[in-house]
Amino acid sequence: MNRKSFAPIFFVGPHFILFIIFICLPTIYGIYASFTKWNLINDPVWVGLDNYRTILSDTSSTFYTQFFNGLKNTLIFVGLSVPILIALPLMIAVALEHKQVKLKGFIQAVLYIPGLISISAAALIWLLIFNKQLGITGNVFGSETVWAANQPYAWIIIIVITVWGGVGGNMIIYRASISGVSKELYESAEMDGAGPIRRFTSITLPSIRFPLIYTFVMTTAGAFNVFGQPLMMTDGGPRQSTTVLMMYIRQLAFGHGESIAGMASAMAVLLGLVILVISALQYYVMNRNAS
Amino acid sequence: MKKRWGITLVVLAISAMLTACGGDDKNTITFWTPLTGEDGSYMDQLVKEYNDTNPEIKVKHVITSDMYTKISTVLNSGKGVPDLAIIHADRVPGFVRQGVLEPMTAVMEAQPELKEDNYLPQAWTTGNIDGVQYTVPLDIHSNVMYYNKDLLQKYNAESFLDDNVVTIDEMLSLQGKLEEGDYVVNDALLGWVIMAQIQNLGGDIQENGQPAVNTEAMKQAFLEVKKIADAGLMTPFGEDGYLMFQAGNVLFSTDGTWSSTAHASVEGLNFDVTNIYSTSADKFTNRASSHLFAMLKNDNRTDEKEQGIGEFLEFIRQNSMEWAKAGQIVASKQVIENPEYENYIQSFFTSNEDEIKSLYIYTYEYYPYVAEAVDTYAADIVRGNVDLDETLQTMQKFVEDKIAEGNTQGE
Repeated sequence: MNRKSFAPIFFVGPHFILFIIFICLPTIYGIYASFTKWNLINDPVWVGLDNYRTILSDTSSTFYTQFFNGLKNTLIFVGLSVPILIALPLMIAVALEHKQVKLKGFIQAVLYIPGLISISAAALIWLLIFNKQLGITGNVFGSETVWAANQPYAWIIIIVITVWGGVGGNMIIYRASISGVSKELYESAEMDGAGPIRRFTSITLPSIRFPLIYTFVMTTAGAFNVFGQPLMMTDGGPRQSTTVLMMYIRQLAFGHGESIAGMASAMAVLLGLVILVISALQYYVMNRNAS
Repeated sequence: MKKRWGITLVVLAISAMLTACGGDDKNTITFWTPLTGEDGSYMDQLVKEYNDTNPEIKVKHVITSDMYTKISTVLNSGKGVPDLAIIHADRVPGFVRQGVLEPMTAVMEAQPELKEDNYLPQAWTTGNIDGVQYTVPLDIHSNVMYYNKDLLQKYNAESFLDDNVVTIDEMLSLQGKLEEGDYVVNDALLGWVIMAQIQNLGGDIQENGQPAVNTEAMKQAFLEVKKIADAGLMTPFGEDGYLMFQAGNVLFSTDGTWSSTAHASVEGLNFDVTNIYSTSADKFTNRASSHLFAMLKNDNRTDEKEQGIGEFLEFIRQNSMEWAKAGQIVASKQVIENPEYENYIQSFFTSNEDEIKSLYIYTYEYYPYVAEAVDTYAADIVRGNVDLDETLQTMQKFVEDKIAEGNTQGE
């Protein structure tokens, strides 16, 4: 046997094993669980499509209400956070390219560090900032609102902490890709009389097409899985208007009393499908427009 | 082909390593608790004191955040099941129905002092299902009402405490008398307060085993508590009423026994503790829970270990004064009858029979779902953000739907 033929196996093998154990098997088991009634302790009882039927069509069921309320709130979060998490880092990355901007590395670090802080620690800080009695919003800006308990303020604080924590990651990707764009392109465009906006739309954007698609798809998928921010900042309130789907899923599977893991799995599978479809659409639309 | 075998072996070795994590030590009692934070340190100290007595089998305390999730994982795989665990009172009926708790029979036979007479009655009986004892109690931790002595004096409200029952009417009598920024009561643990009112009103959360959430008593409980909020006497919606009590702006705080240590650390806060306010002067209830020692089903638990567990529990029965430091009402009568226990603020709740009786532990099998429903909606109902009747229906359905999801299991 040719020695060389083993090399690929050694490279792919470890990842493949980890993928099977930690991603593939749990996913398959999760999908299986969604067709069962299961309390995590006793054996799962096969119920076919019952869970899906309840979630999707039994309008009187608590799980129907929870799923659609959770999905609605998740979509609101995605709709609010993703555009900001794409546009703002892109603007910062472009701005940092300007010749007169000093301390680029420092600014980049300052913007990136929040992403390294755990969501619980960050939430404590931000909750204090927005605290009516102790916080800056109340004492400096004279805000009389209890932010976490009133809309639209509850969403605002969730988005603020999300953007604060999420700007740095995408910005670094954009900076790296912008720095890879040939300087000659900009120079010749400038000679041809292209202004900064024209240079941005005609050179920068097309050149970083793939990083843009990548960050857009990944940020969206990440936003669909939002959990920590609303849990810590508003605990789903007021009146469950910020309870996102992941919170319901977790409450069902690991909440009070006996676990309702089958129903939770079904909701998780449906959420996964939504993410899959939207990501595929995004990729398709952006890639087609770009080419 | 030899190399192929080599690869297969590597793969097998890796999987073996991954599955070999965790194992049973014959000479250690693995003891899981969900006691994070300071409670965990007090328990560490108790375990250390026990191990210092040089028992044959030592106890290893493992603080397990997310313990119930982990319990379901280890029970499923049958590996790494702890020898002893602390579970909450409301978990007992469900666990017993699912058949995952080992009765304490053998442990109690070996240690004759581990018996009902030596513990607070409700802490003991909450672990008794159909005549079988599944748990031995450590404590009762209850919803209680702290009061700011200085504020009570300022507003001439000390008479509220005369009969040890602060009624909602008494609270309402302060309407219009408070300075701006002061409040009569906060909304800490509001769900527990509602659960107490249900008892005060003679209601219950079940009828013949069926959940009873949308009931007259529940409605009345909400309406009564809502009166306080409607009168503007409750700390504003969404604000940290617990903090406002510590800041000295609130007369009464309805939080837990365990908060006494935190309140005590606030400089200048002159406080004491009494019963949760009530709808009537005739009855008072403090909704409580209990930390219970329990053994999860585990075929690998040897008789020697059960002996060791018995000795440990007997040690705790005699020596859990340390646990009083955590603010909890110790379940062992030997401890609470010790004069030293009177130094702890929570000794108020074991000072006489009526007080002991007021510590109410719900033992309905589906109590956790009922509590979840109440906790989810209580604040909005009391603040008038939602329609009461409609929400009670939603809550009833919430509990019924959850129960229905479980009813094919554990049979």
